[in-house]
Amino acid sequence: MGAQIWLGVFSGIAFGFVIQRVGATNANIMARAHLMISGDIPKFMLMAVILSAIGLLGLESAGVANTRVLPTSLVATGVAGILFGIGWGFCGYCPGTTWAAAGEGRMDAVFALIGGLAGAAVFAHLHEFFIPLLYDPFNVGQITLADWTGSKPAAVILLTLVFGLCIGAIHLFWKEKNGSQTP
Amino acid sequence: MDKKKSSSLYWPWLPAAFALAGIIVFIFATFGPPASSSGFVSTMKGAVQTVAPEYVENKPHYAMMPDTGSWLFAFVLGMAIGGFAAGRTGRIPVRDIPEIWENRFGNSRIKRFAATFAGGFIILFAARLAGGCTLGLFISGSTQLAVSGLYFGVLIFAVAMVTARLVYGSTGKEE
Repeated sequence: MGAQIWLGVFSGIAFGFVIQRVGATNANIMARAHLMISGDIPKFMLMAVILSAIGLLGLESAGVANTRVLPTSLVATGVAGILFGIGWGFCGYCPGTTWAAAGEGRMDAVFALIGGLAGAAVFAHLHEFFIPLLYDPFNVGQITLADWTGSKPAAVILLTLVFGLCIGAIHLFWKEKNGSQTP
Repeated sequence: MDKKKSSSLYWPWLPAAFALAGIIVFIFATFGPPASSSGFVSTMKGAVQTVAPEYVENKPHYAMMPDTGSWLFAFVLGMAIGGFAAGRTGRIPVRDIPEIWENRFGNSRIKRFAATFAGGFIILFAARLAGGCTLGLFISGSTQLAVSGLYFGVLIFAVAMVTARLVYGSTGKEE
């Protein structure tokens, strides 16, 4: 138990440090990413997923991976994705970045953090109402890309290709509007 | 905005992605899928159970999460420490109101803080409905090739892009 706490703190410090340095805790940069002005943060996120998926494949072949695939609920995951997108586009923070940005000293992130705690508490109170209504009836299970491709390595290749194309598209279409970055 | 000057303050995205992926793979080896919205639930569980232990015991959403004595809470606390350490050792300017928000809505702190409180409320409510957030569902899920993570990821990016356009209008283009 004690070891898990130290692993958590260590992992969190490393994670918070990197996302601050790349600019993900800066809501101004996040807004510019959403407005298709600056593509660095979405490229960073997509590339981190590609590399993590390859790394996880290695961990699994070594037999030391701890995985837990969340189920897909067509309605709950979909409604949540839309609501989350509204909140993310509106304030420029997501749950992880609020902690690092609050630690960095951004006061607006402290309020996002307090709002987030309130939102989590309200959902926890209403869990018994929403989960049977929106989640359970539309739960299609813990499906993964490997169910379609037949094998995990093939699915990682597919993920790499699709995310790689997304990074390329962001590189082409996310532009400084004053023409400082002409194609 | 002087691009050259501002970009030198931040790490370039590609090496940063390697660094973050290294941390994520380390977390998969030593804990499991990384998550941060769960840390909010652990925080609330730890806080609420000190005043209303019976309430917490009978709530399924709290029952399925560990309290503050857990990796999940240690991780979000660590993120705040990491953000603090990175902020103190770097030259990235810290503002209470982002420039783009100030250009659009003025420099009222109350307005910005109310907006981020509301935004934080919505994202955590939504993340708990889906079972995860940008990290716990999109990044962790997609790393495990989960359809839930990819589906959530497409929606949050698409809707956030539309929302940002509605919120900032033409201000974003002028900046």
